[in-house]
Amino acid sequence: MFKLLGADLKMLVRNKQALFWSLFFPIIFIVIFGLFFGKGGNISGSISIIDTSNNQTSQSIVKGLKDSNIFTIKNYGSLDEAKNQIQAGKLSAVVYFPPTFASTTQTPSNAVKIYYDPANASTSNILNTYIDKFITGYTYKVNNIKPQFTIDAEKLNNNKQFTYFDFVLVGILGLALMNGSIIGIAVGISKYREDKILKRIVSTPLKPWKFVLAEVFSRLLINLIQIALILTVGTVIFDGHIYGSLSMVVGLALIGGILFQLIGFVIAAFAKTTDAAQGMAQVVTIPMMFLAGIFFPIDALPTWLSNIVKFLPLAPLLRMMRGVALEGTSPLQNPADMAIVLGWIVVALALSLYKFRLTEE
Amino acid sequence: MIEKVIEVKNLVKKYNNFAAVDNTSFDVYRGEVFGLIGENGAGKTTTLEIIEGLRQPTSGEVKVLGFDIKKHLREVKREIGIQLQSSAYYHYLKLDEIVDLFASFYDIEVDPVGLLKQVGLEAKRHEYVNNLSGGQKQRFSIVASLINDPEIVFLDEPTTGLDPISRRNLWDIISAIKKKGKTIILTTHYMEEAEILCDRIGIMDNGKIVAIDETHELIKHAKHPIKVKFVTKGLKKDLEKFSVFGELDYVAGKEYHYELVLNKKSDLNKVLKEIDKYNPIDLTVSKASLEDVFIELTGRNIMEEESV
Repeated sequence: MFKLLGADLKMLVRNKQALFWSLFFPIIFIVIFGLFFGKGGNISGSISIIDTSNNQTSQSIVKGLKDSNIFTIKNYGSLDEAKNQIQAGKLSAVVYFPPTFASTTQTPSNAVKIYYDPANASTSNILNTYIDKFITGYTYKVNNIKPQFTIDAEKLNNNKQFTYFDFVLVGILGLALMNGSIIGIAVGISKYREDKILKRIVSTPLKPWKFVLAEVFSRLLINLIQIALILTVGTVIFDGHIYGSLSMVVGLALIGGILFQLIGFVIAAFAKTTDAAQGMAQVVTIPMMFLAGIFFPIDALPTWLSNIVKFLPLAPLLRMMRGVALEGTSPLQNPADMAIVLGWIVVALALSLYKFRLTEE
Repeated sequence: MIEKVIEVKNLVKKYNNFAAVDNTSFDVYRGEVFGLIGENGAGKTTTLEIIEGLRQPTSGEVKVLGFDIKKHLREVKREIGIQLQSSAYYHYLKLDEIVDLFASFYDIEVDPVGLLKQVGLEAKRHEYVNNLSGGQKQRFSIVASLINDPEIVFLDEPTTGLDPISRRNLWDIISAIKKKGKTIILTTHYMEEAEILCDRIGIMDNGKIVAIDETHELIKHAKHPIKVKFVTKGLKKDLEKFSVFGELDYVAGKEYHYELVLNKKSDLNKVLKEIDKYNPIDLTVSKASLEDVFIELTGRNIMEEESV
């Protein structure tokens, strides 16, 4: 049994291609998301400011933009040069204060002008809103008006200011476990069947449950390496955070690993060939990859869709993992989540016990 | 007293309404090489896999070393070694690691090098199976079937797809296993191979055993025990003349090449004298082979199927 476990681990590590998909693929995701949303917080693009009026008003807007840390600010000598940078795709927008900016004479030329790249509309939207708000406030001040309505936003979950990157980090953890386990088992076991390795094993006195157990355990150990690697890269290099209990997160991840492996066994039971197993595994994983809340909260989906998606295996698992990791809540905060995950485990286990055989008839 | 190590009685295996194995009975004796021959799809592999416990029979009884396989499969598995048809082994384990791992399935310790030496693979012990040639792979799968030092070794088409030299090499290995006192049951569709290796042969056709006997007995009872092949340009109108002795036929695709199969051994001298009148350029006389017997027994069925 231990020899088999050791052999299984050896094989998993030696299978470089599968190892790449289970270990380095999620790391690539983390690097990409980390570079965009990780360290440095909320940078929304790079802009340039050309201030030719250089009066008090323009100076205070410039200072406000710089202090806000919303944008990376690049300096160019002239408006034309900055516009060229937008054409070249190296700059999202230019804020131009004409010489007559904020002069009291009402001419069109006293307005601040924003040139932007339509490909980076979100940057120009933020920029527009920001400057508009600044100018409105400034106008109130100059005219001595007090705004009648204000916004009073209050952050809940004090101290736990998780970022989008933290959110995605947990999502990628789920993604790596799901892909590695479902595809790994479905394809791996089907390949064993196609190569008649399963049949060869059945011809020995080895008990089938020992074979399955060694397979599952060796993959759970690989899952631990996956988890460690993803969390290390995410937290150390890109400043991600796990606010709650780390061991609870790992525990939930391993429950997920078991669930996804069982789904893999169900697929291996139904697929007649390795290619079919590959296809079926993708049919199961790809919709979950995009819909089950790895990259964005499922609330963002249309209601009818999110009502379906929230029952898929990955969605409640991610909700629990995020609850623990980002808000430090108990995994049983919402018992329905745990119930759905355990329900799927029972269904997948029953299906694989019913249908999965090491040999054919 | 000859000891039966395998007893198969009225074995049936049905898939829907198709009988892959159709009421087959035979015995295999200790220490012999027993061959099951037949076309692809005749039911050889299915029969073997039922005996090995890998498939469930629809009905019938199988005893291996006296154990009923339905009740004592685990005991049986310890005493048999199996080489599966066209099977591969783990891709990411080295030969000695595979041997070691399979030994652990039997809860025993073995010396991988010693075992691999038996089939000349000791130098390859740190290689992956995928880096072996076809012949080496087959040799490895045979040695893998010997890990538990079994009483009975099952070899399912051990030489299919091999070049003639690798095949002969495998024959030597199979003889060496036999010399150790093990019983071997093998399938093949190479008649020459079965003739050389097997002490007894069962010919399977459409799920049934149509003939079973010691190899030389099977051949002796061929319908046409002698075959004369000759080449002559003189024979044109007189073809009919030979039909009293047996059947005369053209060798496929060759003009002036004839093949005459005799009904009676005793006619041989008369036939040779007759052929001599036509100044044959070439003449060969041979005994019927297993292949002739096989075609006599099963070829008829192929034609029947085609005419339906």
